[in-house]
Amino acid sequence: MKASYNELQGLCRKAFIGMGFEEGDAADAADMVAWMQCFGLGGLAALNRGLDFLLDDDPDELPSVLYQDGDLAVVDGHGQSVLRSSTLALELGFAKARARGLSVTKIRHCHNRQLIMGYLARLAGRGMNVTAFWRNAQQPLTEQVVGFRANGSAPEIRVYAVHEIPEENEPNDGITLVMANHVDLLPAMRSDYRYDLLARHDEADLLACRHRSLAEGIEVDEAVWERLKQLANRMLVEATEASREGAGAGTNDND
Amino acid sequence: MVEFATPTILPAPLRPADEVMQLERLGSLPASRLSFVRSLVRQMARQRWQISRTRFDLNAQGHGIAIYRLQTPQGRYHGVIFSQHLEDDQRSDRVIAQAWDVTFGVVEGDVDDALLEQMAANVPLQEAGRQHPRLLVLSRANRSLRNFAHFVAALSTGRQPDPAGLTRVGYLYRTTAVYGNGKFGIADFVRLQDNPDFHRPFSAQMLAVYLLRHFSIEQVEHIARCQAPESAVPMATELRRYLGIGNSTGLGMAPFLINHPQLIQQWVLCRETALALALGQAPDEESRRRLIELTRRAMHHLAQTVTEDAEQGARNAATVAALPEVIAWLEEVPLEADLWQQLVAWSARTLPLEAQELVNTLLIELYPERVDALEDRMGTDERLELTPDMPLVRLKQLIETHDDWALAEDFTQPEARHWFWYRSAEKEEPRLGVRGVEPGAEKELPLAIAPRVSRTHAALSDFLDAHPRALVVEFLIAHPRHKDIVRRIQTMAETPYGEIRANLWHRDMKPMHLLRTKLAFFGASRFDPKSDRWVRITLFQGAPLVEELNAEPRDLADFDDWSFPLEPEGIMHERDQGVGDTP
Repeated sequence: MKASYNELQGLCRKAFIGMGFEEGDAADAADMVAWMQCFGLGGLAALNRGLDFLLDDDPDELPSVLYQDGDLAVVDGHGQSVLRSSTLALELGFAKARARGLSVTKIRHCHNRQLIMGYLARLAGRGMNVTAFWRNAQQPLTEQVVGFRANGSAPEIRVYAVHEIPEENEPNDGITLVMANHVDLLPAMRSDYRYDLLARHDEADLLACRHRSLAEGIEVDEAVWERLKQLANRMLVEATEASREGAGAGTNDND
Repeated sequence: MVEFATPTILPAPLRPADEVMQLERLGSLPASRLSFVRSLVRQMARQRWQISRTRFDLNAQGHGIAIYRLQTPQGRYHGVIFSQHLEDDQRSDRVIAQAWDVTFGVVEGDVDDALLEQMAANVPLQEAGRQHPRLLVLSRANRSLRNFAHFVAALSTGRQPDPAGLTRVGYLYRTTAVYGNGKFGIADFVRLQDNPDFHRPFSAQMLAVYLLRHFSIEQVEHIARCQAPESAVPMATELRRYLGIGNSTGLGMAPFLINHPQLIQQWVLCRETALALALGQAPDEESRRRLIELTRRAMHHLAQTVTEDAEQGARNAATVAALPEVIAWLEEVPLEADLWQQLVAWSARTLPLEAQELVNTLLIELYPERVDALEDRMGTDERLELTPDMPLVRLKQLIETHDDWALAEDFTQPEARHWFWYRSAEKEEPRLGVRGVEPGAEKELPLAIAPRVSRTHAALSDFLDAHPRALVVEFLIAHPRHKDIVRRIQTMAETPYGEIRANLWHRDMKPMHLLRTKLAFFGASRFDPKSDRWVRITLFQGAPLVEELNAEPRDLADFDDWSFPLEPEGIMHERDQGVGDTP
């Protein structure tokens, strides 16, 4: 079925609140999912894959800063979804880049990493050049780089498999972010090392996709949609006669 | 010989937010020339929009499909209206209703058979349907049965209906929701941001209402003709003009005002800027005469405004009683360069709130060439953003400077935490419950900004004691639940207006003021509260007709001069004489 952007964002926000997210986190997480879906990058599918984990996440286990100095921060996401754990780590990196020109932020132990792109878009919209890097799988070893130009609304994305696998190849569930005030760090694939490009999304293609989404509606999976609706319903209060009287107009308005 | 000095006048400053953003004052605003219905009508006339009927398949009871085409210099749109029989016991203004007399939508582009079929299957279902992404607006309306029956009976027997009916209730149809911005699958507002016709907030919704008004005239005439083809007469032009469209609004409108502070900031800023521009003008005899004339018209309009609500009735009466003093003041005071500023200062000292804001509205009306450009500044890109690198002590100062109104409230007092806002399982309707008495407080909507600001101020003050050099982001990492309100505070601190200065938890808070604030910017008149959280209003009463628009009016100022409409006089008398009488 088709949904509008606003509708998708609104339903996700309500569903996240239903899952126990704080208002601000729910709004951010909804933006992240809707952003990806609008650009044709499968935000709802990514959310759906992580939904059961998300429901099990302990909302009181907050991301913690393991190390920081003027331009570097390492944050422990405690194995939670980036929807819950990443935004303030990103804001910390943003603050450091503002102060020092460039910052590096490492978020360790997080899942649903694809979904972080929507918040990176937001930081880019605030005039920051942002590049994120993470490894997706160990065999074959695949890596993903997402780069936003400052004030750009769509990223350059590259996903590739590397041929030479390092000896140390432990599962890596982190993300590394580089933010720079003045220079962009877009992924240009000019390495001498061998790799197979698995996916490439250019700014222009993504913007065209967004344009289509807004003109024709966004295709959403009905089962996921229904599940989100049920989660959103958790925040609704059962009606009583007293509550009906407290709502406004009468139930019959023949006049 | 008398020498005249060139009048010098100090520019008027914008009024402080502490005055303007008080809920009761906002709840006293009348519609102004910057209201959305007024700016839409001006735009339609200026750009020579044309509206034509492309389909009118109605049976003798007026049920069926009507389609109207709107052609602008830039694009083509269609209003598609489905009219059906409705049992009386289903006619409800509430969002929980499931059927309506008419349902309709505005489509971008043409309507082919496939789209019409899709709409016929979904538009009548409203929220329960899946709507097409080319729909810009989705809406529904119910008949005012008494007016409808009277109009059909009169027109079919060759008489004009009694205009007093429209003075009591100013319409044949009352909308109960006018949806835009992506609801139920329709187009997102972001799609309209580059659309030259409908980029202003709510302009597409107002067009939908304007088309419904035209339909209501054509439909009632059609039914009268079907009933009595020999004797039926068309509605008199003055009466058509006096016919608006109603709207019934409940608490559902309230969350919008809290959830869109940047938009509210823009609306209030434009109105206040318009007022400051008007106050900066030196009056002449012509503008004084015009202001007196407008004041008289508004006074008569308010005297003719009918409401059963005792409080609103008293407010109307107080305004009507005060306006002769305004006229006397205007007639007596010497014509000095800063006369308007004197008037506003006098009005603030002596008049009730509604009369004060009415005087301000009429002053704005005097200077279209100065203020009308503001209508293009009513929209804004909405995004509340964090400034994570702000020193926390600076945020504390911002709160203490800009949000002192929130800190002044003592939330330990039971009356200060009386209400909670929530969404009901019944169609997600927003409702108010009494904390500690009604169930659902744990699912409260965070609409009351004041207690949130107060809590955050307390938490960050404690944090600062331990970390005096902390940044905002460091506070938030330790206390993440404050993120939402912190970015709201930081963003809104850059603007004067936007936050409504009221504790929405307070026992004495009047939700009606919230509803009226938004409705005034829409351009509503005839505020008729049915309780403290449900109001009926009228839109487009007095507005130019479709046929007048299609005639491409030359005098745009005259075309635009339709505020505070008055009951037409002598219509029944003239027409009764004309029917069957030979002079």
